[in-house]
Amino acid sequence: MTLRTKQFIIAILSLAFLASLIFVQAIEVTRRREEAGLTARHVSIPANSRSCVECHEKLSPGIIDHWRGSTHAAKGVGCVECHKAEEGDVDGFHHQGAFIATIVTPLDCSRCHKREFEEFEHSHHAKGGNILASLDNFLAETVEGNREPFDVFNPHAPSRAEAGMKADGMASVNVGCKQCHGSKVALEAKDGSLITVDQLKPGPDGKPTVADAVALVKHNDSGVPVLHQSTWPNTGIGRINLDGSLGSCSACHSRHDFSPRRARQPENCGKCHLGPDHPQKEIYEESKHGVAFRDLKEHMNLDAKDWVLGEDYTQAPTCATCHMSGHSKNGGQVTHDPGQRISWTNRPPVSIVMDTDEHGNVIKEADPAKRNQLIASGWEEKRQEMKDVCLHCHTPNYVNAFYKQYDDFVINYNEKFAKPGQAIMTALLDNGLITKPDFDDEIEWTWFYLWHHEGRRARHGASMMAPDYAHWHGMFEVAERFYQELIPQAREIAEHAKSEGDVEAAEAVLAEIDKILARPEHEWYEAAKQERAARAAADEKDDASTAADANGTADENGNADAPAAAETKDQSPEQPASEEGPPVSPTD
Amino acid sequence: MNGVRSYVQAWLGERIPVSGHQLRELTNEPVPNHLKHWWFCLGGTPAYLFGVQIVTGILLAFYYQPSPATVYESVDYITNKVAFGWFLRSMHKWGATFMIAAVILHQIRVYFTAAYRRPREINWLIGMALLMCTLLTGFTGYSLVFEQLSYWGATVAANISDAVPLVGGVAKQFLLAGDGYNQRTLSRFYVLHAAILPATMILLIGVHVALIRLHGVTEYRFEDEPEDAPRHFNFFPDHLLTELTIGLIVMILLCAASTLFPAIMGPKADPLTTPEEIKPEWFFYVSFRWLKLFSLSFAVLSTGLIVCAMFLWPWIDWALRKITGYEDISIWIGVVATMLLIGLTMWEALAVH
Repeated sequence: MTLRTKQFIIAILSLAFLASLIFVQAIEVTRRREEAGLTARHVSIPANSRSCVECHEKLSPGIIDHWRGSTHAAKGVGCVECHKAEEGDVDGFHHQGAFIATIVTPLDCSRCHKREFEEFEHSHHAKGGNILASLDNFLAETVEGNREPFDVFNPHAPSRAEAGMKADGMASVNVGCKQCHGSKVALEAKDGSLITVDQLKPGPDGKPTVADAVALVKHNDSGVPVLHQSTWPNTGIGRINLDGSLGSCSACHSRHDFSPRRARQPENCGKCHLGPDHPQKEIYEESKHGVAFRDLKEHMNLDAKDWVLGEDYTQAPTCATCHMSGHSKNGGQVTHDPGQRISWTNRPPVSIVMDTDEHGNVIKEADPAKRNQLIASGWEEKRQEMKDVCLHCHTPNYVNAFYKQYDDFVINYNEKFAKPGQAIMTALLDNGLITKPDFDDEIEWTWFYLWHHEGRRARHGASMMAPDYAHWHGMFEVAERFYQELIPQAREIAEHAKSEGDVEAAEAVLAEIDKILARPEHEWYEAAKQERAARAAADEKDDASTAADANGTADENGNADAPAAAETKDQSPEQPASEEGPPVSPTD
Repeated sequence: MNGVRSYVQAWLGERIPVSGHQLRELTNEPVPNHLKHWWFCLGGTPAYLFGVQIVTGILLAFYYQPSPATVYESVDYITNKVAFGWFLRSMHKWGATFMIAAVILHQIRVYFTAAYRRPREINWLIGMALLMCTLLTGFTGYSLVFEQLSYWGATVAANISDAVPLVGGVAKQFLLAGDGYNQRTLSRFYVLHAAILPATMILLIGVHVALIRLHGVTEYRFEDEPEDAPRHFNFFPDHLLTELTIGLIVMILLCAASTLFPAIMGPKADPLTTPEEIKPEWFFYVSFRWLKLFSLSFAVLSTGLIVCAMFLWPWIDWALRKITGYEDISIWIGVVATMLLIGLTMWEALAVH
């Protein structure tokens, strides 16, 4: 072989090698960039989901695009893996060769995410759908809406309507409350009724156990079980699903990309945790925590795989950081029970400490011995878990002093306004001066504003270090509502009852009010008025004596109007109503 | 002025007794004319890149900490905090790729021109030993980053070496400093990567170059070259200029690769989570694919045999020529082997799992 031929062979092979090297390096660089999260991953569509993707790419490209950007897609989890139904699933149907269900429940997610499922089902979030018979529910269903459907057809009305169309009277609940709290998912029955978990009575595997209820399910022309429109679409956190599982993972992990990055950001919680009654997101934004987050967001490593505080980031906490995420002091352990680090519940009218039982329910038992028996997780443990988060950025002294300030604030609210307000409302109800149904008396609205809106704003403001919410949007308004509305309205009701002849009931309520106002913390309120009244009474007495002297008679009843305050002041205030005393609304 | 110069010359000449003439003789051996073609000059490139690796490696060693607790953070510090740390790390990473590529190109040239034949068999052996050292340095260096892939790459490689009969277990123990990846593994890799292997390579390169100088470079003549064409040219400055040009081009390419595709931080090694796909560095793709094609024991044994054959090729080539009587049989075997190398590497690069 000539040297020229050898040269040619060497050149060809060397160039081929170099070309292959460039090719391999290009793949290598791309792969490493994907691994480091710098570029979108290449997605290979799993074979069993290929036809779904091909079709839905045209019909609903948003779903597919979101899925392509998900970790699911990168790991080969396609449409069928999550949407697949099993034989016996009441909402399963055949669709293009696959047996699937529309709604993916936490039980479905638990096929892969078992630990997350168990933590979540134990959480207060999971119980969010259980708002039947609560005060909020009554407000939305009865006060705001109508339990009967509206027959809206009226050719002369300005409403949009068609002949025979009926509007759901519960729309306010369906669109408002249940979109956060979660609906009780229902299938339409052939007889027009609703079939929910109550009729299906699913077993632990999620399969219905009542065959009659299953037989009654209405299917559309394509054989798809019909989900009732009042209950779906719904991704409320406590959705009560047909398979008996609670909640919706996509409440926080929006489908179909299930982005951890999004779940880590406060805006994600802000769908529900905002507004006049629990503005946690606004409170957070006002706090130093929120300010730091806005400024340092790009350094927060939000795309990190585990996102462990103290390892992946320390710049600022988000909602997830404090309430759920793993940190360096707990081995990076994430929890899907956001109540696990909360030591006060500020949800009820009177805040109570978060001792929870084995089911994760807050214990209301007042007897210490019984209470101790019930406690599965005490508030101190929960507080310590939160402190472990705080300690990543604050000293123990700082954290302990913060908690002292917070506890004092909550106790001040509880003792000065919440328990007294509750006692007055109870007195009014027990003495028959207001009716049992909520919201039909003006004072019930006043009380609701006091604890449900202003009282919570104050307590949440204090819990998350937002001074303006703690004070001006909080305690200031609580005080104004208490002194300027609740007390005058309660007195007015009592005085009116007295004038109507219901003296005993009226006196009982007035005595309760006087007892409360005689306490040192309320003394200032009527002290000046009482002083003035006493002076006026004394002047009157002097005038009367002078007149009597002139008339030569004495007024024996001259002291009849002696200041009630003097008596009231001497009364020793009773213990405030117990925390566990009957609140006006047992649940919210 | 001249007086000072002659004084310095005399002073130095007395203490370093090498004359200018001897120095010229030593550095300016006539270079065969075929080396004017640059593709015959790739032997110097790996050495040049080796120099780059030593310089960048020393600079990286200022910051690198080979302890499992701090290693990843120290690499992260180099990449994200140290001034030009990212560039040094990228140069080192791409330098390794370029060096291995240069070694392979050099070997292709040597092989297809049969430059390993008598009397240069020993230098082929040394070259092969250098290739093995280069690959092992690449492997240990990759593992030092302590990313998921490098950690699992090392674990898999150790398990593969375990499958080698007789010596496998010992080799694994030696490599990992124990039965599995442990607290002492990283420092072992580091010592191998930064001390033992480079020192060995410096010695081997010294012998490699010394043998070249003793034998002289194999001389070739193209058939169509005129008879009176010059047979040699000067090392200095002609050949040095060619080498410098190649060095400059390599440096430009290296800087471009380092700047455009800098080394990045992959996920930190997590001994509890096996990644979806484990891949070694690209230069082991060929053997990794080979492993996936056959049973572990066959693949390991056959790889061992192939490496042995590569070492002993000068004698195998001799035997094959004797048996077949076909002078160029090695060339066609080489063509198949190179195509296999390229094919298997690309296959593995494209494979998802």
